Amino acid sequence: MLRYLGLRIGQGLLTVFLTVSTVFLLVRLAPGDPAAAYAGPTATTEDLERVRAQFGLDQPLLAQYGVFLRNLVQGDLGTSYSFQAPALDVVLGRLPYTTTLATSAILLTTVVAVPLGVWMARRADTMRELAGNMVTIAGQSMPDFWSGIMLLTLFAVAVPILPASGFATWGGLVLPTVTIAILQVALISRLVRREMVAALGTPYLSVARSRGFGEGTLIWRYAMANSAIPVLTALGTRFAAMLNGVVVVEVVFSWPGVGSLVVRALETRDYPLIQATVLVTAALAIGVQLLVDLAYPLLDPRVRLGKVASS
Amino acid sequence: MSAVLPSVERPSAVTPALRAAAPAVRRARTLRIKTWIGLVCTAVVVLPVVMASLLPLPGPDTQDLSARRLPPLTDGHLFGTDQLGRDLLSRVLHGGQVSLLVGLLAVLTSGLIGLALGALAGYLGGWVDGVASRLAEAQMALPLLMMLLLVVALFGSSVPVITAVIPLAQWPEVFRLTRSLVLVERGKPYIDAARVLGLHRITILYRHVLPNVVRPVSLVVLLLLAQAVLLESALSYLGAGPERPFATWGRIVSDGQDYVTTSWWIATLPGLVIVLLVVGVNLLGDGLRDRSRRPRTSGGKA
Repeated sequence: MLRYLGLRIGQGLLTVFLTVSTVFLLVRLAPGDPAAAYAGPTATTEDLERVRAQFGLDQPLLAQYGVFLRNLVQGDLGTSYSFQAPALDVVLGRLPYTTTLATSAILLTTVVAVPLGVWMARRADTMRELAGNMVTIAGQSMPDFWSGIMLLTLFAVAVPILPASGFATWGGLVLPTVTIAILQVALISRLVRREMVAALGTPYLSVARSRGFGEGTLIWRYAMANSAIPVLTALGTRFAAMLNGVVVVEVVFSWPGVGSLVVRALETRDYPLIQATVLVTAALAIGVQLLVDLAYPLLDPRVRLGKVASS
Repeated sequence: MSAVLPSVERPSAVTPALRAAAPAVRRARTLRIKTWIGLVCTAVVVLPVVMASLLPLPGPDTQDLSARRLPPLTDGHLFGTDQLGRDLLSRVLHGGQVSLLVGLLAVLTSGLIGLALGALAGYLGGWVDGVASRLAEAQMALPLLMMLLLVVALFGSSVPVITAVIPLAQWPEVFRLTRSLVLVERGKPYIDAARVLGLHRITILYRHVLPNVVRPVSLVVLLLLAQAVLLESALSYLGAGPERPFATWGRIVSDGQDYVTTSWWIATLPGLVIVLLVVGVNLLGDGLRDRSRRPRTSGGKA
C-alpha cells in the first residue's frame, strides 16, 4: 500500500515536471515578445532591452531553464509580468473560484445524472428512454460557450433573476454551474445507464429479486454497488479536467478563476504565470485522480491497490 | 420425397403484438429511429454547407452598412444580417465549410494515428505497448484546452495548425479502442494459423488483424467528428480559430455575443447550426455503432 502510494506520487511528480518543462520550452518558442507586451507600443529599443534584462529573457534558453529549475525547487515560480506579484500567489488566489465552480458543477452533475441514468436503464429501449436519450445527446452536442450565452441571455438579460457575470453573490454561481453540468450530465448519465443495464442483467440480481427485495434496494444497494467504480472514475476524471480550468465557461461568465487567468496570461505572454498555472492545475488534477484510485478498495473490497492487472 | 404442404394460416403463440414488444425488436426500432434522425440532421446542415457557393446568397464578406442587424426572415436574409450588414446565413454556410473541413481532416488524422499506434501496441506488446500507453495516459493529465491554446499561439491559427492540433486531444481514444480490439484478435486461432504459414508479424497485422478491427474503430471516429467540430468551435470562440478564408462558427458566435441583448440571432443561429450538426453526427454514430455490435453484448461494456 505504502509502496503503491510512493510509486504513484513519484509518477505524478514526474508527469508534472515533464508537463511544466514542455510548457517552459513551448512558450519560449512561441512568437510574441513578453517585453513588447509589457512595455507597451511606445517603448523604444532600449526600453525593450532593459525589460528583457529585468525578466532574464536575454539569457540563453538553457540558462533560463537552469534558473527556473533552481527557483522551482525552492518553491519560487517567478514574478508574473503583468501582475507584478509572485506567479504562484496569483494562481493560488484565483484557484478557490475554480475549485468552487468545479465542485458545485460536479455535485449538480452527480445529483442529476445518476438518477437519470438509472431511470433510463430501467426503461431500456422504450420510447420514453429514447426521448431521455435524445435530451442527453442534445446536451452533449451543445458547445458550452453557446449554451452559456443562451442561459445568460435568458436568465440574466431577458428575465433578470440571476447575475450575469463574476462572483459577487452566490447567485453568480448558478449559471456557470448549470452550463458545465449540461455537458457532464449527458456523459455521466449515459455511462450510468450502460453500467446499470449490465448490472440489472446479472444472475446475482435475479437472485436478490427472487428473495423479495424491493426494486429500490435492488437498484441502489446491489446494482449500484457494482456500477459505482466506473461511474466514480468518470466523475473523478471530469472533476480533474475541470480543475485544469473550465476555460470557456469562465471566459463567458467573466469568472475570476484559473481558466480566464490562462487566457489572459497567454495573451500577454506572461511566461511565469503560464508556467505556474500549468504546474498548479496539473498537480491538482493528478492528485484528484490518485484520490479516486485510493477510493476503489472502499467501494470494492476485491480491489487490492498496486496489484491490479495493468491491462 | 417431398409433399407440397397446403399453406394454411396456422395459429402461432408468437403474436405480432408480442413480437413488437420483444426487447430485440424494440432495440432495433430505437436504433433505426436514432440513425434516421441523425442522418436527416446531418444532411440538413452538411448539404447546404457543401453547396454554399452554388446557392443564391450574398457573399459572406459583403458588407452593407445600411442593412445592419436585420432580424431573420427579412427579405433576402433568411438568418438576418450581422453587425456589419453581412448575410448571416451566407457567413454560417461558408464558415461551415472551414469547420467541416477542419473536423474531417482532424478526425482522419486522429484515426490514423490512433489506429496505427493502437494496432502496434496491442499486437507487439512489450516496450512499444509500454511507451504508447504511457503517452496516452500522460495526455489525460494535461490541461488539454490550455495546451491547444498554447500550440495555436505558437504556430498561428491557420487551418493546417488547427487540423494538426485537434488530434492531440483525440488520438488516445482511438488508440485505446484499437489496442483492446487487437488484443482480443491476437488470441484467435486464425492468427496462429497465419503464423504457422510463416507470414511476417507486420503482414499478419496489416492483412489479417486490421480488417477485423477497422469497422468498430471507424464508427468511433465518426463520433469523434462531433467532438472535433465542438473543439474547433471552442477554439475559434476563444479567438484561436482559423480566420481565413472565412470566420468559423465559434468566431461568429463570439462576435454576436456583444449584440445578444439587441440582436439575439447573430449568436443564437450559428450555435443552433452547430447543435444540429453535432446532434446528427452523434445520433448517426450511436445508431451505427450499436447496430454493428452483437445484441447480446450490447447492453454491457463496450
